[in-house]
Parts: sequence; structure tokens; C-alpha cells
Amino acid sequence: MAEKIKQALIDIVGENNYTDSLIDMVSYSYDASEYSQRPSCAVWVETVEHVSDILKLANREHVPVVPRGAGTGLTGTATPLNEAIVLDMSRMNEIIKISIEDRLVIVQPGVVYADLEKALAQYGFFFPPDPASGTVCTLGGNVSTNAGGVKGAKYGTTRDYVLGLQVVIPDGRIMRTGSRTMKSVSGYDLTKLFVGSEGTLGVVTEITLKINPKTTAATTSMATFDNLEDAGRAVSQIMYSGIIPSVLEILGHDTIMAINRNTDLDLPEVDAILLAETDGYTTAETDFQMEKIIEVFKKNNAGKIKRAESEEEASDLWAARKSAYAVLSRIKTHVVLEDVTVPMTKIADLLKGIKAISEKHNIIIATYGHAGDGNLHPQFVYDGYDPKQVKSKEAASAELFQLTIDLGGTLTGEHGIGLQKAPFMTLEHDPAAMDVMRGIKRLLDPNNILNPGKMALDE
Amino acid sequence: MNKMEAKYDFERKYREQVLQCSRCGFCQAVCPVFGSTLRPALNARGKMLLLKEVMDGKIQLDDELIESLFQCTTCASCFENCPSGVNVPDIIKQVRKDMVSIGTCHPAFKGMNEVLKRHTNIYAEDDAEDFGREKNRKAEIVYFVGCVGLYREEESTEATLDLLDRLNVDYTLIDEVCCSGVLEDVGFEINEELARKNIELVFATGAKTLITGCPYCSRTFNNKPQYAELREKGVNVLHISQFLKDFDMGVKTDKKVTYHDPCDLGRHCGIYEEPREIIRKIAPNFVEMAHHHADSLCCGAGGGVRGAYAKNSLAMARRRLQEAEEIDAEVVLTECNSCIHNLSNAKLRRQKFEVYNITRFINELMENK
Amino acid sequence: MQIQNYNMPDELYYEENHFWIRDDGDFLVMGMDDFAQVMAGEIVYVQLPDEGKRLNTGKKFAKIESGKWLGKAFAPVNGELVGVNEELEENPGLINDDCYGKGWMYKIKPDDKGELDNLIKGQEAVEKWLLADIEKYAEE
Repeated sequence: MAEKIKQALIDIVGENNYTDSLIDMVSYSYDASEYSQRPSCAVWVETVEHVSDILKLANREHVPVVPRGAGTGLTGTATPLNEAIVLDMSRMNEIIKISIEDRLVIVQPGVVYADLEKALAQYGFFFPPDPASGTVCTLGGNVSTNAGGVKGAKYGTTRDYVLGLQVVIPDGRIMRTGSRTMKSVSGYDLTKLFVGSEGTLGVVTEITLKINPKTTAATTSMATFDNLEDAGRAVSQIMYSGIIPSVLEILGHDTIMAINRNTDLDLPEVDAILLAETDGYTTAETDFQMEKIIEVFKKNNAGKIKRAESEEEASDLWAARKSAYAVLSRIKTHVVLEDVTVPMTKIADLLKGIKAISEKHNIIIATYGHAGDGNLHPQFVYDGYDPKQVKSKEAASAELFQLTIDLGGTLTGEHGIGLQKAPFMTLEHDPAAMDVMRGIKRLLDPNNILNPGKMALDE
Repeated sequence: MNKMEAKYDFERKYREQVLQCSRCGFCQAVCPVFGSTLRPALNARGKMLLLKEVMDGKIQLDDELIESLFQCTTCASCFENCPSGVNVPDIIKQVRKDMVSIGTCHPAFKGMNEVLKRHTNIYAEDDAEDFGREKNRKAEIVYFVGCVGLYREEESTEATLDLLDRLNVDYTLIDEVCCSGVLEDVGFEINEELARKNIELVFATGAKTLITGCPYCSRTFNNKPQYAELREKGVNVLHISQFLKDFDMGVKTDKKVTYHDPCDLGRHCGIYEEPREIIRKIAPNFVEMAHHHADSLCCGAGGGVRGAYAKNSLAMARRRLQEAEEIDAEVVLTECNSCIHNLSNAKLRRQKFEVYNITRFINELMENK
Repeated sequence: MQIQNYNMPDELYYEENHFWIRDDGDFLVMGMDDFAQVMAGEIVYVQLPDEGKRLNTGKKFAKIESGKWLGKAFAPVNGELVGVNEELEENPGLINDDCYGKGWMYKIKPDDKGELDNLIKGQEAVEKWLLADIEKYAEE
């Protein structure tokens, strides 16, 4: 880091909040994706003024800045390119205000999801989008990628709950978007623009979130399918049941085998398993809902259908689902997790197509995911040190994205584009759309200093 | 990449595991060093990233890495929660040995190794308390105090011994020396001379049981090959909570009491219930903190961190005590002098709860009866 | 007064275990002297007993720790502990930064200020005492 810029940063945040030591630089090179690059330095910011002053400095000196929360993103959104300054937001971690009567909570971006959950639970409330990394991820990161979670089918994603933001835009100006009201259509919806913008349009420094009262009862059940397509059809037909389950997850064959190898859950080794949850305020209500869903399972050739008899049984089933990523990553040296999303009617086709791609390229693509909103998680498992397998993986990925687009789907339901899917943006977005996106980026960040090189915005 | 010759033992032994780290970052939820500093470089993932880069030849294993690789309490919370099953503490311990062998090490630990060559304890103190009791008698049981109990928490040790006396336990103290188990965790090896001394002293008493209040010492005696002879000759090593759990203490308190699981007793030895059994008998108003049993928060003292990174160590202890505050505990109990030392140092003046070893607490109840 | 590299202000009284005492009229203020804080290294913990604690001359009333050393604070006079420097609870390093100022430790109400005469004071006495201790510690 050039000495004068280092000094300028220290002048803004103080010596104790600046680092360029090797151990920090290595850590900040990585998030949870397969990408890494050394930043030039990192700063811990504590106030919105810090952020504003740093972005002004970055513009003056043409030095890139990459904001970062917990670094658990899967697509390289937080990977610092071009010797960027990493802006570690995790010390801005205050829950500023909980207002049950206004049905909202105001948080700083560094608040960890689990800490927010704990604070809201005291009031019998929760923030529904529940990413799997909830014990460690930060709300700033959730906003940056429009994080989803298993409850997405019924409760939506982060974007559905962000009422307003305080953002520092790349020229250093501090701006508010949205409001603290339940609804507003005043001016352009800038809030929705920033949510999911992956730190390329501004640095979020305060978030106002709508919250929901917690339900108190739930019914969980599991259904096995000897035929993947039956499972897929069951998922899309659930819409006819009149019930929207709070959770609807699918586990594919490879995933089931891996879970069984690594736990003593002893799941039936079928083509697919569906896990469903219905929620409400009385068990009578949730059981009633589950009955409707079970009917759909039966109509679609479900083999075994089992309702969880106790909370413990239910939590065992969910633990199985949650362990999928980890147990699959123990098989070979490398994993890459995708999150392609298709209309619910196309789930069966997507599953079939993935199977074909996997066989064609001779690479393990285990599937599981949020069947309830069409968001599958095909997980590529391969030996990353074998150049042949790396090539297979790349070819298979490309075919997967093409298949997804052909089915009317989208490259990513909740992880974001980052670096991982940037090469495929033009598969999904037409030239006009790409032009508009790049235009917006240029408007807000003419010097391209904020998280450059992501989302194919540079080309 | 994996055609490169493994340069270090940690790579020979743990390469697969280091590669298994999928960088998910879930360890950030439980690592006490990360929790109290919010510095990713000090988190378990941060350490694995450094080691991956060492293995790939991108960086060197040298002084620059000390601040991360020697700042780990080896509490194993990360391992307990790692979806990929990476045994970070075991890897770290081996890495430290590799670093020492190439001449790079935290000065506090190098110092500790040197001290134990010339002194009987890690503090280089020469005057051990004798607690007014005869040492090296013939007895059924040897009570082994441990360095922290002898030189930093004498009041607590005195109370534990008083309790044993009240219970008419036939025990003797010995002219003990440091079990030196800690050296294995900070890059060195158990001091064979010291181990030998302890073994001889124990045999000389004729005791068939060794009890200690120090979970670390009990682990060392039970697991390390240098103490195998103890086990071979039929000496049974117990932590004092295991020994006392069936005693009827005959005292009670209605104070709101909680229990802190020491990492070395809980996660490392699986001893969670024995201390609780003792407590429940004397304190019916027993409440768990938010993190307990295998999820217990590390007090921050272990793995040499209290000696080498005292400020951060105390910050970790403070974080643990906040959980006691959150449940309005009046008394925080544990049975480990190292935890007692760190927790009581970290306790703020405005925090009105008290921190005790179970044995001392019981002794006080008996005294006040 | 500077003795070798150590700063030992003239107007203070010194207790032989290397604590300074300042006469503030009704109260005495006590802290660690420069020699002690250098020898100890970074102070990580200072015990701050409750106000009202009874102090007996020569008896220890608090513990102090650095990374490598456990020290004790000894009562310089008979009296009562009436105040402590609460900043030291989370910032014990103040003793190293400014041992005579921000790093002050205890405030004492003495029974009899005459006891101050038993402490070390004055350039000649302080110099003699400090040089002897410097030599003693150099040998160890």
C-alpha cells in the first residue's frame, strides 16, 4: 500500500483499525468461494463517516475498495481484486433499535444473523429469510446478495423485508433510501436496487428491516420417491393443494448417500426425498395443512411417507438437510455449489437435465435445495488438482447454466453472481439489460472503485 | 500442486484435513479468539488459510505467522462445529512443533520451555505453598495440585484440601513438579525429567489413585506416553469432580448457581455430568448459561494464550462472564484453577456474582454451617 | 530525579516493594514506580479491592500481574482503602504508560500520616535504595 494512502487511511480510522500484516492479508484474500486475491490492506470501520471518508479517498486516488461482512459468500463477491482496500464492516455490529409496534428493526451491517434472531426471539418475532450460514453471516452480506434460506418458499427473501437503507455511494455521499414505514412508493425504489447489488453500487451502513411474528407450531414430514421426476412433479403440484409449506426441500440420490455415509440417520436410499414443513399457531392447523401436502405426495407415487412424531425427530430430519453441503465436501478435494433457480413447473426437467450432464461429463453433481421456490443447489464434487476433472467441471457448469436459461430460469436464486457466474451474465440478460446495468454502475461509480470486476459490469 | 514434497510434519500428517477446510467460515460462530477480536486472521478458518498457502508454497512458515498460529486456546469449539470435520487444534499443535523445529516460536512459549528446564513449575517460582500439610506420606490417594493451583490460586487450593480433610479422605500431597503437558501444545515436548520425578514421587507414596483439580494435568497423566508407567502400574487418575460426585456433602445453598465447563474437562475429556451432579445436590437453583456442555465458551486461558496474549485472553473471559450476567447468576462454579484464574481476573467490579471452584464453594458452605 | 534510566520523582515517598506514595493532604495516593513497571513488563491485571478494606502496614492487600510476574501490593501505612483507579480494570497498561499519573492505583485514608516517615524519601535515600535493587535484579 502506498505510504501516503496508508497514512490517509490511518488518519481516518486510527492506527488500531488499519492492517497490512501478512496474516490479515491472507485472511482477507478469501471468502467461502474458490476465488482469492491479495488485497493491499484492510480497515475496520466503525462509523458511516469512516466509510464516507474512505470512499472519497478511494476516488481521489483511484484505489478500489471492497466491503466485507463475515466473508461467507459463495461466489467471490468479497474477493478483493486489483489490490483493493478491504472494508471490514464487522465492527459496525449494533442492533440500533427494535420496534415491535412499528414492526421493524434497525441494524448496522455487521450484526450477525444469529444475534438478530436471538434479540428478536425475546419478543416472539423473527426475520424470516434464514440463510444456512446464519450463525456467522452478517445482515450487510444478506442485503448484498438478497439472501434467501429454507423458508423462502413461503416467506420470501431479504429484499421482501428491507424497508430502507443508509448507503454511502461511491463518491462518498451518504444517502437514505426507502423509509421506516410499511410501504412507500415515493420516488424510484432505490432500496430494491441496492439489495442484491453485491457491494458494487454503494456501501450499506444501516438497514431497516420488516420483521414477522414467530409461528409457534409446525409439522414436519418426509416422503421418498423412487423416481426423481415424480418428486419434481410433486413439488410443482403442491401449488394445487392450496397450501404453501413453510419449507419444502429436496435431497437427491448422491446427497442421500453422502449423508448416510457421514451420519447415522440411515435415510432410505432412493432417487429423491422431499422434506416439508407447515407452520402456524396450533398443531391442528399445521397438521391440516400437512395432510393436503401429503395427498400430493401420494398422488405422485411417493414410496414411504413419514410424519415426524416429535420435535426431536423433526430436528434430526432438518439436521440431515443442513449437513448436505459439508458431507458432500468430504468426498473429494473441491466443491462448487450452484444455486440455479427455475419456475416450479420445470423442477423435474432441471433435475433430469442435471443427471444427464453429470453422466455426460463424468462428474459428481449432487442435488438438493429449496424445491419450494424452484431454487436447486447442484453441488459439483471433484478433484481440483486433476486438470481433466477441472475441465469437466467447467464444461458441465456451462451446460448447467444453459439448461437453466433454456428452462426459463435464472443463474442464481440467492448466492449472487460475484465472480463465479459473471461469464454467464449475457446468457441470461439481453444487451439492453446489460447496458442499463453498466450505465447505472457508471452513474454511481464513474471511477469504478467500488468492488470492481464483479457481475460482468466491467466489460 | 500436490506433487510437491511435503516440507513439514503437519503436512505429512494433516494435509487432507487442511484441504478439507471448505472455507465456509462457520467456525467464526464459536471461535473465542475471533469472537472477542473480530479479526478473521485469528479465526480457525484464518489459520487453515495460512496453512494452505504454506502447503502451496505461497508463503513461508515463519515469524510473521506467529500471531495467528500461536494464538489459539486449543478449545476445540471449531472442531466441534466444523461441518467438514477439520481437527484444527491437533493441526495447530503439530504446526507449532514444526515452527519450533525451524526456530520460530512465540517468545513466551520458548521462555516456558526454558523455565521448565531449570525450575519445577511454569512460573519459575521457588517457594511452593505447603498448605500446612505433610508431603510424600504413604497414603491411598495422591492429590496433585498443578502449577496454577500452587502459585496463582493458593486460596482455592487450600479450600479444596480443607474439603478433602472434612471428608476424611486419605490423601497426601507430594513435592510435585509441573506435569509439563502444556509443552506439547505449544511446540515442545513433555519434560521427561519432570515426568520421571512425578512418577517416582507417586509410586513412593504407594497410592493407587491420583486425584487432581487440574483437568489439564489429569489429561496429561491419562493420555501422554511419558506417564504410561503410572497407568501400567495400576494408578488410577481422576479429576476431583469424578472422585467427589458420590459424596454426600450435607450442605445446601439457595443461591442461583451456574457451571462453566472447562474445555479440558468438557470437550476434551467428555466429563460434563459429574460436576453437575455434585452441584445439583448442593444447589437446587442451578441454571445453565447460554453456552454449556460441548458448546461451552472457552475462558480464554488455554493453549498458552493467557501467558502470550493476556489482553485477548481476558477479553475472552469477559465474554464468558457476560453469559453469567445474562442469566443473573449469583455464583459461577467450575473446577479448573486456570479457568478460575482467568475468570476472576476478568470479572468486572460491577459484576456482583462470585467465581469459585466447586470444591472451594462447598468448603465455604461447610464452614458457615 | 533520573537514576540510570528510571524516573523517580523527588516529591514522592517510596515503599520498598517499589510503590510510590503521594501525600494529597487527607488522603494518600499509591502506584507502582518506574523501576517496577519496567521490570514487570506489560501489566495485564490489577486487583481492585472494594472500598472500605482495612489496610495493615506491610501486609499484602492486592495482586498485580504481568505476563510473567505475579506481584503484590503491600500497605505502606495502616489505614483504609477509600478509592481505586477504575480505569485500570480494562486498561491495566496505563501503569506502564504513565505510572505516576494516569496509572495511579489506590487511594488510602491513613490512620496516622506520621507513618510516612518510615518510607523512603529524598534523593539520597531513594538513589541508594534503587541502585541496590538494580544490582540485585541484575544478578538474578
